[in-house]
Amino acid sequence: MTKPQSPPRRLIGQGMMRVDGDGKVRGTTRYLNDLAYRGLLHGAVVRSPVPRGLLKGITPDPDYDWSGITFVTAADIPGINVVHMHDRTMPLLAELGGEIRYRGEPVGVVAARTPERAAAAAAHIRLDIEVLPPLLTLQEAVAVFKARPGAFDSMKDQSIVKGDLARGFAEADDVLEAEYWAGHQEQLYLENQGLIVFPQKDGSILVEGSIQCPYFPVHELNDPLQLPPEKIRVRQTPIGGAFGGKEDYPTMLTGYAALPALKSGRPVKITYERNEDILFTPKRHPVWVRYKTGFKKDGTLTAIECDFLLDGGAYLTLSDVVMFRGILHCALAYRCDNVTIRGRVARTNSMPCGAFRGFGAPQAIWGLESHLDAIAARLGKPPHLYRLQVHARPGDVTPTGQVLSGENGSTACLKLALQRADFARKLKRCSRGRLRRGQAKWYGIGLAFFGHGAAFTGDGEAKFKAKGRVELTRLADGRPGIDIRVSSTEMGQGVHTVFTQIAADALSLDPGRIRFPLADTGLTPNSGPTVASRTTMVVGNVVHRAALDLKRQIESFASRRHFKGAAVELRRSQLVAPGRPPLPFARVARDMLAELGGASGFFQFELPPETKWDQQAFVGDSYPGYSWSANIAEIEIDPLTCEIDVKRVTAVLDIGRVINPVTASGQVEGGLTQALGYALLEKIGTGRNGLYDAARLQTYIIPTARDIPEFDVQFVEYPYTFAPPGAKGLGELPMDGLAPAIANAVEAATGRRIRTLPITPEAIFAALHPAQGAPAS
Amino acid sequence: MSTLKRTWKVNGQTVPIRAPAGRRLLDVLRDDLGLVGTKESCGEGECGACTVIVDNEPVVSCLIPAGQLPDGTAILTIEGIEKTRIGRLIQRAFLECGAVQCGFCIPGMVVSSYALLVKNPRPSTPAIREGLAGNLCRCTGYTKIIQAVKLAAARLPKRK
Repeated sequence: MTKPQSPPRRLIGQGMMRVDGDGKVRGTTRYLNDLAYRGLLHGAVVRSPVPRGLLKGITPDPDYDWSGITFVTAADIPGINVVHMHDRTMPLLAELGGEIRYRGEPVGVVAARTPERAAAAAAHIRLDIEVLPPLLTLQEAVAVFKARPGAFDSMKDQSIVKGDLARGFAEADDVLEAEYWAGHQEQLYLENQGLIVFPQKDGSILVEGSIQCPYFPVHELNDPLQLPPEKIRVRQTPIGGAFGGKEDYPTMLTGYAALPALKSGRPVKITYERNEDILFTPKRHPVWVRYKTGFKKDGTLTAIECDFLLDGGAYLTLSDVVMFRGILHCALAYRCDNVTIRGRVARTNSMPCGAFRGFGAPQAIWGLESHLDAIAARLGKPPHLYRLQVHARPGDVTPTGQVLSGENGSTACLKLALQRADFARKLKRCSRGRLRRGQAKWYGIGLAFFGHGAAFTGDGEAKFKAKGRVELTRLADGRPGIDIRVSSTEMGQGVHTVFTQIAADALSLDPGRIRFPLADTGLTPNSGPTVASRTTMVVGNVVHRAALDLKRQIESFASRRHFKGAAVELRRSQLVAPGRPPLPFARVARDMLAELGGASGFFQFELPPETKWDQQAFVGDSYPGYSWSANIAEIEIDPLTCEIDVKRVTAVLDIGRVINPVTASGQVEGGLTQALGYALLEKIGTGRNGLYDAARLQTYIIPTARDIPEFDVQFVEYPYTFAPPGAKGLGELPMDGLAPAIANAVEAATGRRIRTLPITPEAIFAALHPAQGAPAS
Repeated sequence: MSTLKRTWKVNGQTVPIRAPAGRRLLDVLRDDLGLVGTKESCGEGECGACTVIVDNEPVVSCLIPAGQLPDGTAILTIEGIEKTRIGRLIQRAFLECGAVQCGFCIPGMVVSSYALLVKNPRPSTPAIREGLAGNLCRCTGYTKIIQAVKLAAARLPKRK
């Protein structure tokens, strides 16, 4: 008699504990700097002391003792002096006779037995530079753009055009135009950048380090190092935070370390201290965005015209794609038939900007959500009712002509957030610059609503074809288990945990038998970089399908080998067939390993065949799926000191299927906190010498446990059914909208709209007392 | 610089210390004693990743010269925390509440939470925020960390 089987326990949807948590709470997880290696050289980068000039000479001090020190310049580059990135223009090291384009641009690398010795030697490299006048900031670039557009140096232009803008403005009853600014934002992962390059006997290199996208160095350094992809192997060490900051930059760092490693034949480690990490690694792009909008008396948006300028820094690196994501979000969330968006990437003499959670979308949404509140105010409509009226929903057509699918919780996010925050009632209590009865401080509530395109832009996923394997193997305890082999990196976001859940459910196995080794390009198929809110949605689907493939192989083997051809199912760690005693998975797997040597399931991602995207025209299905969110911020402002206290934040999100509600809400709270820093605290200026003025944690201020509000995080689930288990993007969405929600709350509290981030107390004071200007800080 | 000869009690064990007097406590712990659970992030006392307990007070070990600590100094690091009941309760609560993401700040957070609960076994939410205000975390938004400290506190054995 067979026992009645209870249905398999589902892990998807459960707050399963992190698989990597134990070592992290005990301090036994070994990050790069915790690993002891003998015989390393330590690299120090020699940098330009000026933001622009002609490099005329590089001279090691003849009186210095150079014994035991390896020094490399561009002359030591085996191949072409270029990092591929997106346009193959950035040299790995500044070329003698060439132009220095930013302060701190690498000119050489010194490697020595200790970091101290390397730093001391680096200070004895004399650079002869003919100084040229720099253009340092986006403010200067925008001034050129406005006064002499022909002289404006754009590294990439891209427009989106929908409908007829002139007709849209002709139909409008009213027009509103405004400009919005935001500055740099530093990722500020707690573990600084670092990696080691080990030269191998066969001329190849092995790279180990805190690297978000292990396949990037494999494919972007072939020309300078004259090594094909198979001769650059990258192994990820546990990553102490990245947020995009370890996406593009480790490729350059790999190049800097590889040159002295190849020259000396010794492994070379470069790890930054905090000061060097803040000064000389990429940040979120500063933005200037100008909206001109036409609308009817009833609120209908008839025209949206938008200029979106990012500060790309000295080289394009990946700023083209950041700008693309920006312009794709500049008018995404609202209905309008006539839209023209013009994106540009300004060249300035500053460190190239790079990836940071959101990747252009927060800059776009900052402008749009501020501007939409301003339109509502002009119309005399409450901001929430206006958004309910004009927001995008299923069946609507985006600026690139994509029809939004029904797997879309935009309306649900908006309505639930308004209800949970009691927005309509609280809006009436806002101070608007005058204390109401019972108020000791000015009170304001503000709303932002937005979508975020998940995965690569356009047909990027169709071209990339993310690959992954799920392998039957023997685990450390000698018993059979499963290895997940995808190149998605665990940076804290929880991918090791959620992929374990996905594989365990697909295979109907205990998650304790599933292992997810750190990415190693020598062993792991290329499932793409861990970016673009694509991992759970796209690579999660690859893991799910590869696990189902392996499950079928195990069942088929068991059917042949153990069940005489009967139909067999792997269910709750047992192979079961009707009318027979079940066999444990471990027994069957052991036989399979012994007789076949192993087995693995494989899958390669594809987009639905009907996906259409024209990259030249920028028309079509710009993202495979969209996540949605509404953020509501409640704030108090001290009328005397202008200090801002964010009391409560409500965030409702549609991220499709929620795989793990605990890790998901943790990501949301963390992303909202980064957005709170972007809104209020995190400020970097540029000195005339080309250096950032906030170069350390004493001057670059991020939120602490005292600065955070009470969070109310809720999910509404509209799964992406094409790619089971149906997740959409999560990682970037929480960074997108809190800054404008806070700006809108500041307007409700003070009666003043502030159009530049961050909104410091000094900025509020200046807005309240325009004659006096900002107090000296 | 003169070489220091001291004897400290590190995680309950008597340990001879030989180091230049100006060497940072953080480097003595990580490089000389191999206690790499303590992390370095900013190196200037702002982030709290290197927090350890010296004679019952939480300190940032990147700002303490070894020469400042006399013979007999008692030092507790993340490696010693889990040998204590409170430490294990805190670690467990961090896991259960989902208070861990990248993990780099977590040893310092656990040490600061331990110092807080030893002094104040029933901390209010503002007291927890205050107690952790010297420890930066860029991943979690602190909410689940604060919940974890509360949960650990609730599980502490009641004192008479």
